[in-house]
Amino acid sequence: MRKLIPSTPIITILPALALIPVLTDVLIGVHNGGGNILFEFFSASLHPSLEQTVILSAWKGLQITIATALLSWVISTFGGMILGVISSNTFWQIFESSQWKAILIRRILAIPRSIHELIWGLLLLQVFGIGPWIAIIAICIPYSSLVARVISDQIDSLDHGRLIALKHSGASPFASITTALLPPMIPVINSYGSYRLECALRGATMLGVFGMGGIGTEMQLTFQSLEFTEMWTSLWMLGGVMLILEKILSWWRKAPSSPNRSERQLLISIGVMLTSVLISLIWLQALDINLATNFNWHPIGLPTIADIKNSFHELSWIDLISNTLLMTLLSAGIAIGIPPLGMILWPTKLGGAIQSSIWLLLRLIPPPLSALLLLLCTNPSISVAALALGLQNLGIMGRLLKEGVSHQSKDLYTAIHSSGSGKRLAWLYGHLSLQSKSYLAYAAYRTDVILRETAVVGVVGGVGLGWQLQESLSSFDWAQVALVTTAYSTLTLIGETISEKARQYWLNSAKGPPSLFFQNQF
Amino acid sequence: MRKLLDLKGIYVRGNGDEYRLRNIHLSINSGERIALLGQSGAGKSTLLEVANGSLQPHSGHIKWRGIHLKHLTPKQRQRIATLWQDLRLIEELTVVQNINVGALGQHNLLWAFRNLLGTIESKECLPYIEAAGLEQKNISTPVQKLSGGQRQRVAIARLLRQQAELLLADEPLSSLDPTLAGEVLELFLNKKAIQSIGIPETCMISLHRPDLISNFTRVIGLKQGQIAFDCPVHNLLPFDINMLYIDE
Repeated sequence: MRKLIPSTPIITILPALALIPVLTDVLIGVHNGGGNILFEFFSASLHPSLEQTVILSAWKGLQITIATALLSWVISTFGGMILGVISSNTFWQIFESSQWKAILIRRILAIPRSIHELIWGLLLLQVFGIGPWIAIIAICIPYSSLVARVISDQIDSLDHGRLIALKHSGASPFASITTALLPPMIPVINSYGSYRLECALRGATMLGVFGMGGIGTEMQLTFQSLEFTEMWTSLWMLGGVMLILEKILSWWRKAPSSPNRSERQLLISIGVMLTSVLISLIWLQALDINLATNFNWHPIGLPTIADIKNSFHELSWIDLISNTLLMTLLSAGIAIGIPPLGMILWPTKLGGAIQSSIWLLLRLIPPPLSALLLLLCTNPSISVAALALGLQNLGIMGRLLKEGVSHQSKDLYTAIHSSGSGKRLAWLYGHLSLQSKSYLAYAAYRTDVILRETAVVGVVGGVGLGWQLQESLSSFDWAQVALVTTAYSTLTLIGETISEKARQYWLNSAKGPPSLFFQNQF
Repeated sequence: MRKLLDLKGIYVRGNGDEYRLRNIHLSINSGERIALLGQSGAGKSTLLEVANGSLQPHSGHIKWRGIHLKHLTPKQRQRIATLWQDLRLIEELTVVQNINVGALGQHNLLWAFRNLLGTIESKECLPYIEAAGLEQKNISTPVQKLSGGQRQRVAIARLLRQQAELLLADEPLSSLDPTLAGEVLELFLNKKAIQSIGIPETCMISLHRPDLISNFTRVIGLKQGQIAFDCPVHNLLPFDINMLYIDE
């Protein structure tokens, strides 16, 4: 028997096989009950409600979401930059201090990073009750440490020759940082920072679905009352904003960077961020959202060691962890494998345009809503949760794949197509083969994100740590909450380490520099 | 001699107002071995790209056996093979997988997937590997690990695997040592007796070395995007070649 040696382009599409067991399971559970409702949902997309009250309500929700996203983006980016600098080894080298401080800060920052913003949101809700800052803080906590990680990694990977030269010439530590570290970091800050804004918008929408205000709450309420035409008003409005944002950010990332231009870009970025803060604050104030509201501390009874021990034995850890991992793998398979497969099967301009529209739609609908939508016509299962989560991430992966391909040379595609290959084969060999390693490196990172996001959909399938966490939160069982959160955190940190190794493997094995476009999405 | 490729009134615009190709009229007949001469930037690569259909001219038309190039089926397009100056190999794939890329036009998507999985029998490639002078031990090596000369041989094997009728080559000898350059030229001009595979009888090869043109039947000189001369080799005067390389 011949030995299989799959090459990287085929490895990008093999994960799509995950769709087979997921679809089989979903189809087995299909019931007719929700068929009509599902039809109503999709047909409502063609005639969203244009009533003034509906539009005004959706617009208000959208403004809250945008303002929440902007505020949390600016705070987490600035916070992350400061934390990134002080968690880098280089920073402590400048001060001629021991590097254990950097290691300690990085270890501490790993904890907030490992817990999804939804979990932070739900925990904060329990402790402080509903308030305008909850969603913002919930996003800021993990995002700041995510930005910090990227910044500290980048700083430590810089060539330190310039820094040493400055130090020897007697420059102050502050001057050394601004002169030697800041300029090479500007393209990273610009590109990665802009990517986080998209994440913040999606995060703010998703938190809304769980009652934390904004367009997500509007969608959830209209969905629950089966007012699909009203829900589509919100969806289309959100879609418009996301599309505009994506276009602006894509243009921003494509802008050529030279040292002079980078500095100008940084100044513009800082200007945009400060303006964003001002606009958001004024916006929220105008929407009668009082940001000066005091935090109401609702004391929670801290669990004793005995409580924790009891809870530890009550929970079926093997099931919880294995289901979480299974959900992650199935979702990741769908998200990673389907976009390249779709582009191979339908590589024409029309096909590309239709697939891009579908990807946009999938990015728009928060996974909990798509899961509820699926539940209209099928039974709850791990597959429903995996499919819902996979679909939104598929939308993200698809857009990145398409942008990655648009950034690369068309020479190979042209060569293969002109030698008599059809468009499908030319796309597979001429486009995907060039992009596959960068794509797989990004896929490794995305899998890590999906593992965190299982918290969002676990409740739908009634499985996994996410489901258990919601159950424990609902019953105010703080011992279980502490245990499940710790387990989640540990699992995602292990996942992060594995994904980092996989990412480095793919990036290092790529000939030539990896696609900067993909690199800056991590 | 049958007319294979026919280019009429070809204009290709550059970045600004200038033309990369101007008023090109030429036909390639079966069995012809054409040397394409000209300075760097004279338009040789552009002409080859137009001839293989990868670059659309701004005006004019190109026909393959009387059919407009745009309307060719993949199978018909496969009859024109190109050796690109930058080789255009797929770095991640092995030697055999790259050579099989030449046969993509003859197969379906499933075969293409199988090639990427590495389950296509390598024996199908062996005659081409042999003809291109590659060592069999290298067939499972990713091409990114090969030397420049070996990579050139892989590109040649891929081109032969395409089983084309017309061979277009863009500076195939420029980066080769004299021995390999001689071997490649012999192969392209069908001087090597290889029974097992068909070498295209017709070719148009761009060259930087006018001393090699005696091996060809026809010479086309390009200057500033225009045809300066187009004649049988034996009619060419040294003056014509000198004029081609003198800056005005």
